Amino acid sequence: MSNNDPDKVWPTGLTLREAEEVHSYLIDGTRVFGVIALLAHILVATTTPWLG
Amino acid sequence: MSSYKQFAYSRILQIAPRYLPFADVATEDVPLSRLLRLSLFQVTVGMALVLMVGTLNRVMIVELGVAASLVAVMISLPLVFAPFRALIGFKSDTFVSALGWRRVPFIWKGTMWQFGGFAIMPFALLVLSGYGEAVDAPRWMGLGSAGLAFLLVGAGLHTVQTVGLALATDLVREEDHPKVVGLMYVMLLLGMVGAAFVYGALLEDYTPGRLIQVIQGTAVITIAVNLIALWQQEPRDRVRAKAMRERTETPRFSDSWRQFMRLDGALRLLVVIGLGTFAFGMADVLLEPYGGQVLAMSVAETTRLTAVLAGGSLLGFALASHLLGRGGSAVRLARTGALIGMPGFGLIILAAQSGNLVVFVTGTCAVGFGAGLFGHGTLTATIRRAPRDQVGLALGAWGAVQATAAGIGVALGGVLRDIVLHLPIASTLSAATPYIAVFALEAVVLAMALIAAWSLRPLDLAPKPSSFVPRMSSAGHGNGPDSGITHPAPRTQEVS
Repeated sequence: MSNNDPDKVWPTGLTLREAEEVHSYLIDGTRVFGVIALLAHILVATTTPWLG
Repeated sequence: MSSYKQFAYSRILQIAPRYLPFADVATEDVPLSRLLRLSLFQVTVGMALVLMVGTLNRVMIVELGVAASLVAVMISLPLVFAPFRALIGFKSDTFVSALGWRRVPFIWKGTMWQFGGFAIMPFALLVLSGYGEAVDAPRWMGLGSAGLAFLLVGAGLHTVQTVGLALATDLVREEDHPKVVGLMYVMLLLGMVGAAFVYGALLEDYTPGRLIQVIQGTAVITIAVNLIALWQQEPRDRVRAKAMRERTETPRFSDSWRQFMRLDGALRLLVVIGLGTFAFGMADVLLEPYGGQVLAMSVAETTRLTAVLAGGSLLGFALASHLLGRGGSAVRLARTGALIGMPGFGLIILAAQSGNLVVFVTGTCAVGFGAGLFGHGTLTATIRRAPRDQVGLALGAWGAVQATAAGIGVALGGVLRDIVLHLPIASTLSAATPYIAVFALEAVVLAMALIAAWSLRPLDLAPKPSSFVPRMSSAGHGNGPDSGITHPAPRTQEVS
């Protein structure tokens, strides 16, 4: 019952909404990191190809 | 044993603040250490600026052999984002967050962009210059990736600086704002000066590998330092979060902007900031070549000249923090800055006639000092005029005007000198003439700023219009219960 209460403060010290927001920043960061890493690899492969 | 320790600690705590110019900014609520930590974001902004405008400018032209005009375009790309600072500030003012945060998410995202831009930048530059196998790479790839890298860094640093300043303004009490402004300016200057030395030393023996190390090292340092700066700064606030959630209509930028412009003297203050920053910015790039070409100074001497300029600015910041902290008028201080800058340019021009280095260095120091007073005064005036719930917008507007004007000033300074240099009658002119023309123009623009600022005087005393209070007012003007910060209810009036 109380699991559905959006204002319940869980043992982490966060409510459900707050936890989801913190998580969203993590997801965002991971996505940006991923895209940047992909781009950087493509550019490195252009200057010094390592795949033959 | 422990009593000795305690004694030592208490002595150190007593001594330390006395020897720091901005120590008295620390209140019981936000200690100096925390503000110093927050101001670290300015160090990364300074690093990014120096790396792009100074170091890479040279490396791309000399070592990588990229066309100078293309380099100029790339370096001015971050400027594209400067006008958007107002929008970023507004977005952070009206951000909806379950944590009650307004600033941290933006600083984090800005940091990510800045990091991302630096992470791909060295490879993008190598592709652009056709290094290694990249000779065969299509042209758009180098251009696109280098452009993207510079745009990302620009977007990141404008976001971080705008929202970071807003956060610092949120954190401290009204009467401490001048000291925070001083602290932020000093940290920016320290970041720039320190970065210039470090990059210069690191890139002395240039190799492509070293370039990658330096730029990617900057990326890692940026994200690490900004994380340290950001950690546990903005309080979590459930009351504000609830108010944010229950706000039914989304505030529109145009409405908020109109409201902000209706504040007494807001537009005029922005005009003053634009003109003054433009004039002081033009001097930045021309002092060194002027010293070298006209006054026959050596490279070491002209480098020291930059130190004199920066030292003058530091002096200006310190004095401004001191005076404004005691309740002086920020607008009047900005006017004084412009007033000191004008004879400074006059001395610099005179130096060409007499060839007297003392006159030149005095003029340079006066220009730096004036720029320090002017920068501090106008930023403090902006913060003081902004209602609590429009701090982000106000600082965004300040940053947009300031960054754009400085960028145009730096670009135009060199262009104007070259135009005079290529006039048909140029051969009959002395080497000093193009520089004198630009320095004289700077003094004239400063005079215009002064005239615009003069009529701000009555506004300085005018009663403050009741602040624009959107739906968020129930959140207690940005101070949550767990922030522990109390703001005296009436905003102290700026006394002229």
